Amino acid sequence: MTQGKEAAQALQALQGALAAEHAAIYGYGVVGAMLSGADQATALADWKLHQEARDTLEAMIVQLGATPVAASVAYGLPFAVRDAQSARRLAAVLEDGVTQAYLGLVAVTDQTLRTFGALAMQPPANRAAYWRGFTVAFPGMPSGQVTND
Amino acid sequence: MLAASATLPLFLALDACAGPDPLASPPPLSADVRTLFAAAFAEENLVSLYKRTAAAYSALAPALSPLLAEHLAHLAQLRGRIIEPPGKRVPHTVTSRPPIPATRTAAVAQLRAAERAAASAQLRRLADATPSLAQLYASIAASESTHVSALDRSVR
Repeated sequence: MTQGKEAAQALQALQGALAAEHAAIYGYGVVGAMLSGADQATALADWKLHQEARDTLEAMIVQLGATPVAASVAYGLPFAVRDAQSARRLAAVLEDGVTQAYLGLVAVTDQTLRTFGALAMQPPANRAAYWRGFTVAFPGMPSGQVTND
Repeated sequence: MLAASATLPLFLALDACAGPDPLASPPPLSADVRTLFAAAFAEENLVSLYKRTAAAYSALAPALSPLLAEHLAHLAQLRGRIIEPPGKRVPHTVTSRPPIPATRTAAVAQLRAAERAAASAQLRRLADATPSLAQLYASIAASESTHVSALDRSVR
């Protein structure tokens, strides 16, 4: 792979992670509105962590001389969120999406970015397990399972 | 006899040629495959530790069972990427068998420490791995990090 292609691949993966963080920040607004007490406090803390991650990714993309992808005005939810149970389920889905996006960074050639992606996927994988109530064997892989490539 | 005599010079001529000798020992393992073996053996060690801990503290078994199942899934994926020569099987090798601590709390602490160490080791394997293998190592590392939290939450 040429250097130009490698740089483009890295930038695309970073933009993908940023887009996932944008979606999570939006989604946690919905999640928090349906929760109360300790769960709501946890959702608020998670929301703030996603904002910090967004800021980090935006700074990295700017440093590469590119324009960070912007958040969408609105996002379609994968299912209706009408109560605490579905809110927790949405939180897990959001965290799965972020974990998967960071796993995309692990496939790039740049070793620093590869390690960054591998480390960055651990907090969302843990939060997904918390909201889901159980762990999965392969966080970040589609449906938590490995597919043959 | 005539046929054997006729073919002998041909074998000698082939022997004199430069190039790989199909009768020599197998070629050395590539760095990628050596790393894969190391990752598989590390999983074997974790599987062994979980099984022995669950056997020593049966009350922990329900909490440990899903985590053990995930390690077995990791192991299957890692071993599945190792191409075995026809008729040969990669041995199941446990290279580390630390004693199970005398208290349940210490036994769980030992599992947590093993998970943390395993996750760190996976990250050290990223550098020379193909993109696909790097993603597998990173995903397993993330899984092991969730196990640390799960042990904190479920096993008190």
